[in-house]
Amino acid sequence: MLSKGRQFKNIMGNVGAYASIIFTILVIISIIYYCFSTGINRISFDMLVNDYYETAYFASVEKNDDTYYSFEEKEDVYFSSKWGIALKDDQDLEGNKCVKIYYIDSMSPFANAKKENSEESIVISNGMLVKRIQFKTEAGNEIVTVKNGSEQIIDKLNSAIKIDEFYFASMGGGIRGSLLSTIYLILLTLVISLPLGILVALYLGNYAKDNKFIQILRTLIDMISGIPSIIFGLVGVIVFIPFVSVISNTSGLSILAGAFTMSIMILPLIIKNTEDAINAIPKSYKMNSLALGASETQTTFKVILPNAISGILTSTLLSIGRIIGESAALIFVMGSAIQDDVNIFKGATTLSVHIWTVLAAENPNYSLACSISIIILLVVFLLNILVKIICKRLNRFEVK
Amino acid sequence: MLSNDTKQIKRKTITDKIVRGVLLSLTILCSLIIIFVTLFILIKGLMPFFKEYEINGEKVRVNIISFLFGTTYFKAPATYGIGFVFIDTIYVTFLALLLAVPVSILSALFIVRIAPKVLSKLLNSIVELLASIPSVIFGMFGTAIITKFVKWLSNLFNYQSSGGLSTLASAIILALMIIPTITMISVTAISSIKQDQILGSLALGASKTETNYKVVLLGAKNGIISGIILGTGRALGEATAISMVCGNEYSGPTFNLFDKTRTLTTSMLQNIHETSGLDYDIRFSIGLVLIIIIILTNILLNIVKNKIGKKYAK
Repeated sequence: MLSKGRQFKNIMGNVGAYASIIFTILVIISIIYYCFSTGINRISFDMLVNDYYETAYFASVEKNDDTYYSFEEKEDVYFSSKWGIALKDDQDLEGNKCVKIYYIDSMSPFANAKKENSEESIVISNGMLVKRIQFKTEAGNEIVTVKNGSEQIIDKLNSAIKIDEFYFASMGGGIRGSLLSTIYLILLTLVISLPLGILVALYLGNYAKDNKFIQILRTLIDMISGIPSIIFGLVGVIVFIPFVSVISNTSGLSILAGAFTMSIMILPLIIKNTEDAINAIPKSYKMNSLALGASETQTTFKVILPNAISGILTSTLLSIGRIIGESAALIFVMGSAIQDDVNIFKGATTLSVHIWTVLAAENPNYSLACSISIIILLVVFLLNILVKIICKRLNRFEVK
Repeated sequence: MLSNDTKQIKRKTITDKIVRGVLLSLTILCSLIIIFVTLFILIKGLMPFFKEYEINGEKVRVNIISFLFGTTYFKAPATYGIGFVFIDTIYVTFLALLLAVPVSILSALFIVRIAPKVLSKLLNSIVELLASIPSVIFGMFGTAIITKFVKWLSNLFNYQSSGGLSTLASAIILALMIIPTITMISVTAISSIKQDQILGSLALGASKTETNYKVVLLGAKNGIISGIILGTGRALGEATAISMVCGNEYSGPTFNLFDKTRTLTTSMLQNIHETSGLDYDIRFSIGLVLIIIIILTNILLNIVKNKIGKKYAK
């Protein structure tokens, strides 16, 4: 039997361990729960493919004949048989009330709308937002806006003779630009750092002897991973932004400079994982290959490299996760201005920096930030699981 | 025929030598990155103290003494002081470690020693997931939830905090971010304790819990301290998450948990794209200070590790 004091200590010790693990689990659950509860409603396909900024258009519409148009009635959709346009109340990606164009008859005056004060035609497509309509009636000029709601707008339009100004906009609030620039950044970074990392790993794992010089090289490479990412941002500003400016004749922030910066950040990760995979290859493979008459180079690239594929895949996936999550360095090198036109020689935001920008604004948009977070979390978790599967499936040399 | 073969063999050895040389030079190039990084930051970081900047027609230079020991971040035209920022950074990091270290070590102990096999695998994966959450999401969680919690807490103490942006919120966010780092490394360290030691302790009459604390944790202390060193590095270098909850106070130091604070990294990030000239270049000097602090803490903690290692080895 334990004494009472010891028993008490035992219980306290166990309680501490249980409490700690419960706390850790609660942290991750509450983060995931917060993201999903705030952002899930906002996630849609529209969000992924839309621009972030609304583009405004102004058109004038004239009706020259007396044709009337027909439309199959639907709930909550209001149709003007005179103008051949159907509107619907909806919410835009920011969660504000808006009026969406639901349907335009192919013969309707809206289908042959002209740009305001010119003869150029302008395309009005379904899904665009109606902002304001200024029109003439028998009684005089009148204006309707989004605030009137689609029912009133249609109601008033029916009495209109001529629409002087039709102000509409493409839907904004999407993340297409940030999504694209994230993908560009990942591809560019991998193109730069994977070959370099693999070659260095081949040297360290296959050729290098275990002497003092190699140990120093190893320590120096390891030290890269101890440097905080914001410092790499500074290095990017000093080295890579001027470098990219020179080769591309542009100036300032760019995705390419971001890719160079990320490349040196993830080098140690690629080198380490690939080298681990190389070390796991049995010595006999190399010996057999050499004994069969293959040269050292042939052995390295035809025997060692293909057998290290699991390590290369793992490091690729881990790198992708790292690039998606990185923000501090990229704010320095790629800027924090959200772009719709993505160009690798210009600045842009990745998804993470998009969140940062959205939250640093005067009115932080938490629902947008959370919906981007959900996408990031899903990708990162998926990568995590994939790495595990690869480790299990492809690691043929693990001792069972 | 024979001469042909020797030719081939010779050519092979020449290619081998070239390939080997190329790979070696690439390796050397990669290892030089760190030296170049430090060098660039050093040169650019020292510039504000030697170069003259023209601000509003006046030629100014930053005073290095007031930069290192100042208690006000910025005074026009060119006085920068990060003495208090340094103290605040260390204070916030220390608080974060105070919160994170016990939780991490005990979580690791639970995962390896107390939980059944299936559960322990699951928990391990959960900790790995937590480690893979990007810092900006922690920052968002911090601004949305943690600051509200801190605000509520400060109201309990009848203290007016500025919307929850505070030392405490920063420390909590940092703690949450370094818990998985320390836990994962502690798990590895604890798993490597030999079964013989545990059985020996149990045979001597120690209870399971006593064995866990006095044999397992003590035995794994080197690995655990390595985890803490890594966690400290991550906490010192973290920028985005903490910049969203710290409030960027302009003078200090402050030790009040509910007051706004400022760390080295947040000073570097603050208004980064709305500034130029000296105010931009001074960030490189702060970066230089940050690198030096990280190197010094690493050395210091490694000394601690060696001391503790020796003390218990006797």
